[in-house]
Amino acid sequence: MTIRSQLLKGILEGCILAVVSRQKVYGYELSMKLQGYGLEVSEGSIYPILLRLQKERLIYGKMEKSNSGPNRKYYYLTQLGEEALSNFKKQWEGIKIPVDLLLNGEEQSQ
Amino acid sequence: MKVEELLTHNNKLRVKLTEENRKYYEDMLVYIRLSYDKSEKETEEILSELLGHLIEAQQEGRTAEDVFGKDPKKYADNIIGELPKMVSKERLLLGSMSLLYFLGVSVFFIGIVRMINQYVIPIDQMTNEYYILSVVVKTLTSIPIAFLLIFGALQYLRWACFKNISRVKDFFILWGWEMLSIGIFVLVYYLVPDIGPVIEVSGWFVALLGIFLYLAGSFVKRISTNN
Repeated sequence: MTIRSQLLKGILEGCILAVVSRQKVYGYELSMKLQGYGLEVSEGSIYPILLRLQKERLIYGKMEKSNSGPNRKYYYLTQLGEEALSNFKKQWEGIKIPVDLLLNGEEQSQ
Repeated sequence: MKVEELLTHNNKLRVKLTEENRKYYEDMLVYIRLSYDKSEKETEEILSELLGHLIEAQQEGRTAEDVFGKDPKKYADNIIGELPKMVSKERLLLGSMSLLYFLGVSVFFIGIVRMINQYVIPIDQMTNEYYILSVVVKTLTSIPIAFLLIFGALQYLRWACFKNISRVKDFFILWGWEMLSIGIFVLVYYLVPDIGPVIEVSGWFVALLGIFLYLAGSFVKRISTNN
């Protein structure tokens, strides 16, 4: 796997945790929300990630019945997921600020 | 929700898909379901989610290719890679169900053949006598052979997914495989010598035993789908 896709995958995981932490969502809704924020992810790519986050017990899903339309599986954050999310936020801050500085071309004062 | 409900719901909803989207989705569905060592419940749940997503996307004018990408096999492999494995209890239930079905059907047909021999047309040298040790050896050798043959058929079906193999070709390959299977069982039947004490059992009893084993199999199936 390339560094780029690995990086993106980690970021996408963090973003999914963040969306789920605000409210319960189902897959379609989640992908629309991510796109709404301007994240250019293909819709289908969230499902393998959702499966992995469930296996790692960061989120859990509950299938809700519907007679007319499709069943929806709603996702909720677990305690473990909250910890992972705040961890991600910390790590993200640690990357974002230096990278922004670097890209904006500010010379490091010595 | 139970697996059974998810299955019926999926069947009902699939008709809402357009021809193109249904083909794409069903290929994926067959391929994912054939990954037999994955948790059945998780498998059906993700299939239901993907279907629901596709239906919503279709209403907005997007196709399965837009949603899941140009390579359905690769996408399905991604999903399968993340699906949790069957837990041992599920494995045990599935294994004993298959075993009971296999034994049930085989024993039933042996009983029927013996009954034909007894009441309709006598078959050469066939009696209602069984050599106990031979029966044990035949049963114990045919079980692993049956599992291997089924495993082989599953591997073929998985391989054939997304390949657009013509139905005729598909039919003949599976037919050939079946003939081979029957041949192997006949071979086992003839190669095992007559050993051990002899008992006499009527065809009726053997056929009934087959039915009983089959019913036991469907009982195990009920338990596993109600989980």
